[in-house]
Amino acid sequence: MSGQFTGSTGTFLIGGTEARTSRALPALLIPLAAAGAILALVPIWIGDSRVLMGVAVLGLAFVCYTIGFNVIFGSTGQLFLCVGALAGVGGFGATILADNVGLPIVVSILVATLAATLIGGLLSFIAVKRSLGVIFTGIVTLIFTLSFDALLLGLSNLTGGDSGRLIASGADTLLRARDRVLPYYLMLALVVLFLLVHGLLRRSHIGWAFRALRDDAVAAELAGVDVARYRVYGALIGAAMLGLAGSTYVLTEGRISPTTFGFGRVDVVVLVMLAFGGIGTLFGPIVGAVTFTIIDEILIDFGQLRHVAYGILIIVLFLWMPRGVIPTAAYLWRRVRRLVEVRE
Amino acid sequence: MIANILDGIVLGLQFGLLATGLTLIYGLGGVLNLGYGQIAVVSAITVALAMDAGMPVLPAVGLGLLVGGLLGLFLDQTILRPVYRLRGEGRVLLSLLLTLGVSFIVDGFLNWRFPLKALSLHIGGGAVEILGVLMRRGSLVASAITLVTFAGLFVFFRSTSLGRAIRSVIEDEDGARLIGIDPKQMLRLILILSGVLAALVAVTRSMVAPVDTKSGLSITVFALIVTVVGGLGNVVGALLAGIILGIINVIAAKLIGSYISLIILLGAAAVTILIRPAGLLGVKE
Repeated sequence: MSGQFTGSTGTFLIGGTEARTSRALPALLIPLAAAGAILALVPIWIGDSRVLMGVAVLGLAFVCYTIGFNVIFGSTGQLFLCVGALAGVGGFGATILADNVGLPIVVSILVATLAATLIGGLLSFIAVKRSLGVIFTGIVTLIFTLSFDALLLGLSNLTGGDSGRLIASGADTLLRARDRVLPYYLMLALVVLFLLVHGLLRRSHIGWAFRALRDDAVAAELAGVDVARYRVYGALIGAAMLGLAGSTYVLTEGRISPTTFGFGRVDVVVLVMLAFGGIGTLFGPIVGAVTFTIIDEILIDFGQLRHVAYGILIIVLFLWMPRGVIPTAAYLWRRVRRLVEVRE
Repeated sequence: MIANILDGIVLGLQFGLLATGLTLIYGLGGVLNLGYGQIAVVSAITVALAMDAGMPVLPAVGLGLLVGGLLGLFLDQTILRPVYRLRGEGRVLLSLLLTLGVSFIVDGFLNWRFPLKALSLHIGGGAVEILGVLMRRGSLVASAITLVTFAGLFVFFRSTSLGRAIRSVIEDEDGARLIGIDPKQMLRLILILSGVLAALVAVTRSMVAPVDTKSGLSITVFALIVTVVGGLGNVVGALLAGIILGIINVIAAKLIGSYISLIILLGAAAVTILIRPAGLLGVKE
């Protein structure tokens, strides 16, 4: 187990001290079912408030984004600063296909998701081929985000420009149910699906390759892991999640604008959520995204001062818990248990 | 065509100055300061407030530069402390995340306290003709300040022993320590210098377009892109990259239209990074 800061190897934050995962399937399915069940009960609690339900649906969308980003950054160490843009490819793609081209909603979502997947894979392929490091991958993907934003504003007849547009498709269906219950369960289904995919992935041979290349890419390559191939796999899977979540979310929301997927609105937030929950952990995204959604709702009256609170939180978090809440809690728990065992 | 190139150079000088402060800290300390744009914005707002309070322009600008330098010093003394304990990519990542936190705090505070405040310095007088092209006086003054700054930096890094000491740390931190240079002290100096440069960016930019409380992120992002294209830690590279990207941007804007020109600019930056990951003037390690 390495220390909190592993020094020049650069595995700080994403390096792997991780409790060994059990290969038994119940070890994955039970916590997953428990998390799903808890979230499924939320509408009973806040279901009579349309505003809070809207917040909850957005919160689940953020859980999805964070899981997708976790697969890309947490599992394969590629800093993709285009989470919002990839989700936006899904969202705007699905909107344009459904409204302007006239495809059925499900087909639009699938095609748009495919587009996001391919773009994510392409970005990763380029980064891998040119062997860009974490920071350079970040900058190239950031450039993609900025170009995507410029394109959205430029193609204003399709995207509605700055103010966005309303989505006609699905307007009178349950997708737009005023009580937001169906949208909530739809997004929750995506969360469970994504967690299941990520969980199964982690226990497959791909997961082993991910862990190996994340701990030390050179050593993994020498041990016969095709690092390039697995990085692209990670990006494809993560981007597919982002595209699917983005397109599904906007179709339940009924309107879309560039800020829905803006860099400051999505990427920065997702990074903080993931770092809070624990980068590379399976349930970190849920913990991080749900916590931040709740904090955001509590602090809503403070307006801009919320950002001050986030800034302080980010600094405190990375100074004292760079591995995130879950790994820190797990570490403390192991320490406590060891102490107890010693005493006995 | 000459008009386009001149416009491009004016914009490019802005880009170059933007990147210089960022590239110096990265080159020297391996620290990526995402709060860079916010330093510029705080300085700009300081100048604007000082002028509201009746201070003449020059002392107000001086105060802004001072505030920029002090903010750099403050970062160095506080949140960058733990960053210096790390090395390599870990240092870059931690510095990036902590300064991201700082940028949140600054943005949140400014947008809460001074939501509508913006700095725009109006340089009086009409347009000036240069090589048969009419240029706005504001952009000329901004360019002149930028050129003088670059000349000053150039002389500083070439000819003064302090400048040479700083360059030796950029080249080899351990080697510099062996010959008696304290890298931490150099870093502190560079952080102050980078803060002053950020403030200067805000001042020169405000002669062309207003700098408001929401400009921070875009200043940082463009500075980052120009920095990377020019080669991390390379001041001349930053200037060169700035001018090239500026000319590309203006010509693309004239020939095609504004939003695609931004995409072309970004594409050019991406292609440069992919072809020469070390930057235009960077040396492969």
